[in-house]
Amino acid sequence: MLFNSYSFIFGFLPTVVIGFYILGARRREWGLAWLTAASLLFYAWWRPINVLLIAPSILINYGLARALEKTGEARPAFARTILIAGIVFNLCFLGYFKYLNFAASAMNDAFGTGFVLTQLILPLGISFITFQKIAFLVDVQAGRVSRFSLADYGLFVLFFPQLIAGPIVHYREMMPQFRAAPCRYDPENVAVGISLFFFGLAKKVILADPMSPLVAPLYARAAAGGGQSMIDAWIAALGFTLQIYFDFSGYSDMALGLARFFGIKLPVNFNSPLQATSIIDFWLRWHVSLTRFLTAYIYNPMTLSLTRKRMAAGKPIFGGRNTSLPAFLSLLAMPTILTMLVSGLWHGAGYTYIVWGLLHGVLLCINHGWRLARPRIWPDTKRYNVRMAPVGFILTFLSVVAAMVMFRAPTLSATLMLWKGMIGVYGVTVPAAVFSQLGELAGWLSAVGVQPAWTSGSMLLTSTVRIGCLLVIALAMPNTLRILAAFEPALGVKPDRTPSRLVQVLTWVPDTAWAVGLAFVALAGMLSLGQLSEFLYWQF
Amino acid sequence: MASPNRFLRTWTMMLCVLAGLVVALNLLIDPYDVFGTPRIPGLSLMKPGPKNHALLAKTYQEARAHPVTVLIGSSSTHIGVDAAAPEWPEAMRPIYNYGIPGGAGVSTRLDTLREAIFNGAIENAVVFLDFQDFLAFSPPGDGMSEDDRRYHLLPDGKPNPYRRLQVADDMFLSLATMGSLTDSLKTVVFQRDPTLLNLAPDGSSNDADFRNAFLADGMHDLFAQKDDFELERAERLRRSIAEWQGALPNVDTVRAIVALTRANHVKLTLVITPHHADALEIYWRIGLWPRIEQLKTELAAVADQAGGDVALWDFLNYDQFNTEGVPAAGDRHTPTVWFWEPTHFKKHLGAVLIRRMFGRDAPQYGALLTVANVDAVNRRIRDRRRERVCGHDGPELLTALAVKIPDGCALP
Repeated sequence: MLFNSYSFIFGFLPTVVIGFYILGARRREWGLAWLTAASLLFYAWWRPINVLLIAPSILINYGLARALEKTGEARPAFARTILIAGIVFNLCFLGYFKYLNFAASAMNDAFGTGFVLTQLILPLGISFITFQKIAFLVDVQAGRVSRFSLADYGLFVLFFPQLIAGPIVHYREMMPQFRAAPCRYDPENVAVGISLFFFGLAKKVILADPMSPLVAPLYARAAAGGGQSMIDAWIAALGFTLQIYFDFSGYSDMALGLARFFGIKLPVNFNSPLQATSIIDFWLRWHVSLTRFLTAYIYNPMTLSLTRKRMAAGKPIFGGRNTSLPAFLSLLAMPTILTMLVSGLWHGAGYTYIVWGLLHGVLLCINHGWRLARPRIWPDTKRYNVRMAPVGFILTFLSVVAAMVMFRAPTLSATLMLWKGMIGVYGVTVPAAVFSQLGELAGWLSAVGVQPAWTSGSMLLTSTVRIGCLLVIALAMPNTLRILAAFEPALGVKPDRTPSRLVQVLTWVPDTAWAVGLAFVALAGMLSLGQLSEFLYWQF
Repeated sequence: MASPNRFLRTWTMMLCVLAGLVVALNLLIDPYDVFGTPRIPGLSLMKPGPKNHALLAKTYQEARAHPVTVLIGSSSTHIGVDAAAPEWPEAMRPIYNYGIPGGAGVSTRLDTLREAIFNGAIENAVVFLDFQDFLAFSPPGDGMSEDDRRYHLLPDGKPNPYRRLQVADDMFLSLATMGSLTDSLKTVVFQRDPTLLNLAPDGSSNDADFRNAFLADGMHDLFAQKDDFELERAERLRRSIAEWQGALPNVDTVRAIVALTRANHVKLTLVITPHHADALEIYWRIGLWPRIEQLKTELAAVADQAGGDVALWDFLNYDQFNTEGVPAAGDRHTPTVWFWEPTHFKKHLGAVLIRRMFGRDAPQYGALLTVANVDAVNRRIRDRRRERVCGHDGPELLTALAVKIPDGCALP
């Protein structure tokens, strides 16, 4: 069931929310059990077999967690073995469904083997759920989680607002909320929840989805080996970047809003990433919960282990500005690139995702390297920040947009075709209908190599206007977290101490003006639900 | 004063009021002509909305129109044949144009004809056939489309159990979607715009889209652009049909059309739709002309098997209309008379077709094909082509094509 469907908005959601308030008002356990059952139904809606696949995995993880809890401090070596077994089990579970075919295909490509690719049902949200379960086991082993029941664990894993596409949450930030949640109608929570949900819906169906038909033919043409003119290639790159931006942003807002109906605040997952002024900054804003997971459970342990090894070997370790090149390479660059490789693989089983992850890893290393070297080259940090922030923004924006092509293009060769197009290898063409209206300018453009082509002028106009509008919203407008900051829309979000004038004007309060404005937004979103479209991140 | 409870009350009330207004507006304007709300001058007389929902609009329109004659075809029929043209004999009226723009294939013609016959007492059916539809195999169907679900009958003639749900869906689409709201507003705002597209209640469309394109780009560009598209399509079709030895694809569907009309006592006229010589030349030059001749032969056999109940008209030739000259590049003022571009004829030519098939005093244009004369007609067209294309006036006709496929006069 999609969040952006009539059956969800008019059927599932009101039933679950009303049922939760009624049962929760009588007994909290009943309300939470109702929520777990509803989440299972939500998960089973598409393919009931999904539940049969995921339920045993939940039970096994719960068993392992109980075993970890019991052995814990008394037998640390055994606990460690259980943890490793749990992690291996979860990774094998994910690997079997998500990566088996890719591995077989890669072997066939590399060694000419004849592994047969099989049709496997990929359980929905398996990547998110797996990471969440691994994080839980690690937290139990580390003693950060205690006192949990199967009902608690089931609700933690299955809670439907974040089940399919995150955010990836931690038990310790969710369970205390479930235990303290009022489990009954709370007008403020409902008002905030409705606002977040319909802001998200509007982003998804009004801003993101209409980009799809504009960019899809361009990627299809690149996949078929057709070179793109410079303008088309940039429309493809920018168009998809904005499509996935508003798609994911919309989903994240909807997830926050849905959780809020039940009195739960999810962690921040998306925070205007296109406004980032460095690639490090970008990853602190884009899919925040994934970055948090990768940092805590892959990057940090790897860096710690490598640091210990270097120390044991008597080699210099990371030392801030005085870090040696070997230390930088082994303690920062390698873990970063490996972590981003995992990030790429996590997003999808395909070469494009792997290269996308590696590319971001390399960009992060360059960014880290520059941060270390910059004080020696440009010591005045204040002036550097003022002068170079716009440059950092442009470089980050261009890097993200170029890398995003790989996220959408079906093959590396299609990516290459589009990148070549973006730098003008296939020339620059303008629709003949537009070209013929340019008068003298057409002559000038011809002189510099711009040619007319039988492409659609109205499509170019629509794409350009849409991209322009979406860029303004993404780059200049405050996001939903800022607009609703006074009501803590996500875990830990507080109002800015010195909000901009625009934020002050747009600050959400439950008054008549916002109610009327939001009614328009909600109606526009619901009227645009005609064509069902999945969230792009649901495929991961 | 800020209060969450008041906020929720106001929001709910406002949402309901706005939703009610949207539904009321869409019902009044009826942008896709689904409900048949009376057209109000200055508000909803002209209907541009069905442009992207033609099959939706026409299926409901046709059911209300109760025509005696139904015109079945594709976009060329939709644009080029006027159901209200004075050339139609009185006995054939009222007429409904069920031509479906947007690449409708032969199976859609069978479906729409079956629907029209189900809806009322159809006495005449004029089915326009595009030769390109017989040069490619239809891909296997991917379940029922929403258009299929809308018809009263399934292809096997049984009642369609999905129709009710589809009708509900159509009502919803027409009343409570952003698309219908936008189309309603456009309908109202641009009502007095003389260049507004309109779908008339009889299914005919004005030619606003082509006229606007002509005014912006000129006829030469319209032809040249379509030539490029048609060249790509022709090459695709050549690959599709290259090795095929049997009867051409979709001729069986025409046979089904004939059987359907005979079973329902409907007089059937089959028409091979006219195309401009620019388009014909593309197919000639890439070697598909023998397939087109094969098509005519096969269709003539199908018509003959009906024992004289079915007339088959062929307007796919190099006659005076089809070889109309194209204004030069850069000329944005000189119009053509008979064709908008190589595959879409104008209503002037549509009127000639009507007179030729059903009227009197028509110019000698096209041929009534039979098994007996089809070879002679094919030979005559080849001769005529040699005169027109390889003769003195050839090069000026074929704009940019000669550069792309230069071998214009050798027989394939």
